[in-house]
Amino acid sequence: MKMEEMSLSGLDNSKMEGIAQDILTDLVEDACLGLCFDVHRAVKQGYFFLDDTDQESMKEYEIVDQPGVDIFGQVYNQWKNKECVCPNCSRSIAASRFAPHLEKCLGMGRNSSRIANRRIASGNNTNKSESDQEDNDDANDNDWSYGAEKKAKKRKSDKNPNSPRRSKSLKHKNALLGPKRRAENQESPCVLLRDEPFSQ
Amino acid sequence: MSKDSQMRAVINQKLIEMGERERLKELLRAKLIECGWRDQLKAHCKEVIKEKGLENVTVEDLVAGITPKGRALVPDSVKKELLLRIRAFLAQHAT
Repeated sequence: MKMEEMSLSGLDNSKMEGIAQDILTDLVEDACLGLCFDVHRAVKQGYFFLDDTDQESMKEYEIVDQPGVDIFGQVYNQWKNKECVCPNCSRSIAASRFAPHLEKCLGMGRNSSRIANRRIASGNNTNKSESDQEDNDDANDNDWSYGAEKKAKKRKSDKNPNSPRRSKSLKHKNALLGPKRRAENQESPCVLLRDEPFSQ
Repeated sequence: MSKDSQMRAVINQKLIEMGERERLKELLRAKLIECGWRDQLKAHCKEVIKEKGLENVTVEDLVAGITPKGRALVPDSVKKELLLRIRAFLAQHAT
């Protein structure tokens, strides 16, 4: 049947609307049927009630649908309005800004130590030196990371680049020099004693 | 066959041939799941099953018990959206 034989241009809107409604009804019925088939198969195959547990647990974990509360029943913007007093500067800070503020205030976070180091570096380059470094020291009194960096730098220069210990192949060779460690006394006789069993 | 039903048949045929009916079905299915319709009806199914007994429930039981409620529970927004698409199709392909 060709479309030309059917003159649909003479139709008014109400008929079209009726047809559209019918099509919708058909589609909804299809959806319902689909659901019925799914459920029926699930019942006959035995997996329909599989995701249910005992009544108690069902009640306990039921989805919560109240305003101001998430689906677990927890209040999620509880900390929006609370304010905390900073132990360092005694200011009252909003809760969500508290952590970053503490970071800057105590000078302990990743960023604040970076900023401090940059300031030190630029403070060494430009001859503002004294006052700046003192200020940094005061501000970084609690800053363990800064102190650790100082220590780390010290350690590196302590190692002797010429020490025979450096290369692993020399590990068992008994150099008269012995291992160069900070606290060891190189002239102690026990070094010589230790050498003996390894002598070739 | 009256002219009306002939015309409806033609429209339905076109709907299927162009794949639009399948698309509309998928759209409706997605929307109904989204709005919780499917879960509501599933809960209703549980009642029907408990009534008829797990072993004896038939497809007919479910269909008879579910379809009227299912038709009523479709939210208006979903209906409107589907109708818009259907009307657009009709306007494009049925005149």
